[in-house]
Amino acid sequence: MTSVLRTTPRPADAAPSSTPEGRRPRRERQGPAYIFLSPWILGAVLLTLAPMAVSLYLSFTDYNLFDPPHWVGLRNYTEMFTEDPRYWRSVRTTLLYVVVAVPLKLGFALAVALLLKGMRKGKGFYRSAFYAPSLLGASMSVALVWRALYNDGGTVDEILSGIGIHTGGWVSDPSLAVFVVALLSVWQFGAPMVIFLAGLQQIPGDLYEAASIDGAGRTRQFISVTLPMLSPVLFFNLVLETIQSFQVFTPAFAISGGKGGPADSTNFYTLYLYERAFSASHMGYASAMAWILLLAIGAVTLVIFRTSRSWVFYANEGA
Amino acid sequence: MRTSKYGRRRRTVVRLAACSAALTLLLTGCSGGSSSSAGGRVTLSFTWWGNDDRALRTNKAVALFEKKHPGVKVRTSTAGYEAYVQKLATQAAGGDLPDVAQLDYRQISQYAGSGTLLDLGPYMKDGTLRTAEFDKSLLRTGVYDSTQVALPMGQGTTGFTYDSKIFAKAGVPKPKPGWTWDDWADAGRKITALGLKGPDGRAFTGLTDIGVNEDIFEDWLRGHGKQLYSGERQLGFTAKDLTAFWTFCDRLRREKVVSQAKDTAQLGGAIDESPMGRRLAATDFTWDSPYLGYPPLLGDQIRFAPVPTTAGRAGQYFKPTMLVGVGAHSAHPKQAAELVDFLLNDPEAGKILGVNRSAPPNQAIAKSISKDLKGPDKEVYDYERRVAAYGVDAPPKAPPRGDVALQVAFTRCYQQVIYERQSPARAAAEFLSEARRELR
Repeated sequence: MTSVLRTTPRPADAAPSSTPEGRRPRRERQGPAYIFLSPWILGAVLLTLAPMAVSLYLSFTDYNLFDPPHWVGLRNYTEMFTEDPRYWRSVRTTLLYVVVAVPLKLGFALAVALLLKGMRKGKGFYRSAFYAPSLLGASMSVALVWRALYNDGGTVDEILSGIGIHTGGWVSDPSLAVFVVALLSVWQFGAPMVIFLAGLQQIPGDLYEAASIDGAGRTRQFISVTLPMLSPVLFFNLVLETIQSFQVFTPAFAISGGKGGPADSTNFYTLYLYERAFSASHMGYASAMAWILLLAIGAVTLVIFRTSRSWVFYANEGA
Repeated sequence: MRTSKYGRRRRTVVRLAACSAALTLLLTGCSGGSSSSAGGRVTLSFTWWGNDDRALRTNKAVALFEKKHPGVKVRTSTAGYEAYVQKLATQAAGGDLPDVAQLDYRQISQYAGSGTLLDLGPYMKDGTLRTAEFDKSLLRTGVYDSTQVALPMGQGTTGFTYDSKIFAKAGVPKPKPGWTWDDWADAGRKITALGLKGPDGRAFTGLTDIGVNEDIFEDWLRGHGKQLYSGERQLGFTAKDLTAFWTFCDRLRREKVVSQAKDTAQLGGAIDESPMGRRLAATDFTWDSPYLGYPPLLGDQIRFAPVPTTAGRAGQYFKPTMLVGVGAHSAHPKQAAELVDFLLNDPEAGKILGVNRSAPPNQAIAKSISKDLKGPDKEVYDYERRVAAYGVDAPPKAPPRGDVALQVAFTRCYQQVIYERQSPARAAAEFLSEARRELR
């Protein structure tokens, strides 16, 4: 941070020489900078770093919000891994969700981006229309509408019954409920779509020209030109969506009425964490869960980064 | 109070962290003003959970209190049970409990044990809070560590609401005190055999699956001479007892005599979400004050029956339907105590509040309002006297901390059974291991 400040252009040279008692000029110029930065520094320390440190401390304690926390060492962690079947259920549910929702969402986003790219008229309209659900997506109300759609006797149930498939509501079926949440996520494909669209427009047109001269059809062009050229954007979206999916909370909370039911089938990791913290008052256990989640997301992201070397292609690499 | 400087700072940091965590999760905790006295006027906060009727009646009683105590203003707020419990816990953690708060029997240990509730003893001694007309064993349910931390607001008990028309149609006799669990199951079989249909053409079952409800398990258990807790850190039953209960329920579900999994899973606080409220079952287990919601929804043929017994031994008991306490940090404890006394002992307030929180704990008021009761209200009043005459045991001690979480765990573990993901024995084992960890 200081190095940035040092390179800022000096104001009028008169300022340092006018200081009495030989105060060091550099510090004098840094002062205002720190004052202006202070809201952000304070915010980072008070709202991010300090709570993180406290959370790390709490993860080694038993703390119920009412009484002072008391130190239990690694017990929260060992309990989580060896004694709590619900913990592992929540891990399985979350992994299933990530594996289903992320590829579906990215596939959808890419498909729509390809459609929009070739469009001449009304592009702006469709782009906004498809992006809107992403903006609304995090809201409780949409999740509630979703719940109503997939509920017993809801719209989806009725339509499927109309063509002879009786599901009896996905929300109250423990083997289907998780897919309701996944579908809600797929419906919010707008954000990665916009990024894909930007990436598609960066691909030089002469590559396609050259490919078609060589006799490549549309599929061939997609595989040999579009995908490699788009791979950095795909990589970016993949990392972002994976991280987000691990933290899915609002839709699961709304669709299961905050309980992760039926039969724990939508008890995602963060939902279980929330329940441990605020319903069961086990702040220490919840903090330990949060740290494991952080480590897990870090590890998965690292793996994606590692594998990216073999499939992400940067245009200037070959040059 | 002597807290070390370090200890205090640590608590502050911890609270701060809890607050910011709550904020990130978009929880509306942490704020919640307590009392203030602007311009010589005293403002009290008073919160409760419950239905619209309760809100209407309580606000009316509070308005009367304000009229009789000029200079005191009461800010009221109400919510559904689950939201209420979570908000109150966050407020309590911040040392910010409302001046007067309605509490659940299950919360007493947790709150009193952490010193968030005011000792009401001094106010009972100086006559601000009158309890002479209270039943002594009921009054004791608000005692924690020999300190009166809360007073009962009503006396209630459990039972089965049932559709008397359908019972008659199936040839099932009217349930009487002393009917057994086998009678109950038989009634279900006969009604299911009628082959009735629900509103959307689905099968109508005789009974609602009771396996999800820990309260009814407690009644069953007490009927077998056991209890839910045998101490602050111990359950009063074994995995075998729970397995037996869940096997009984599960067998009835497989026979399609009780509500099916997806309907049972929807059981929550609201009557209109229960299988009976949705016209899919002829009975429902409930407490006597929520029972009052059934006749308006389903018709006058809805009646209330005692909990079945085990060979004549009743497990049900009289419990405080809810209690009322004063926040330990209240700035106006005297006025808060006056409000509590008014709600519980003022004859006019008693008339306004009626039996919405079940029979009033003040027996003089209970007797006086019983004359004006009609319909379901009267039925509940008579029901309690009938059950008392049959004989019930004294209420157990207030449940230990961790009980709130276990109540939820009970429902969840049984859901694994009805969706056929676990056997009753395995689900019971999971519940017991969770209980061991919660009560540690």
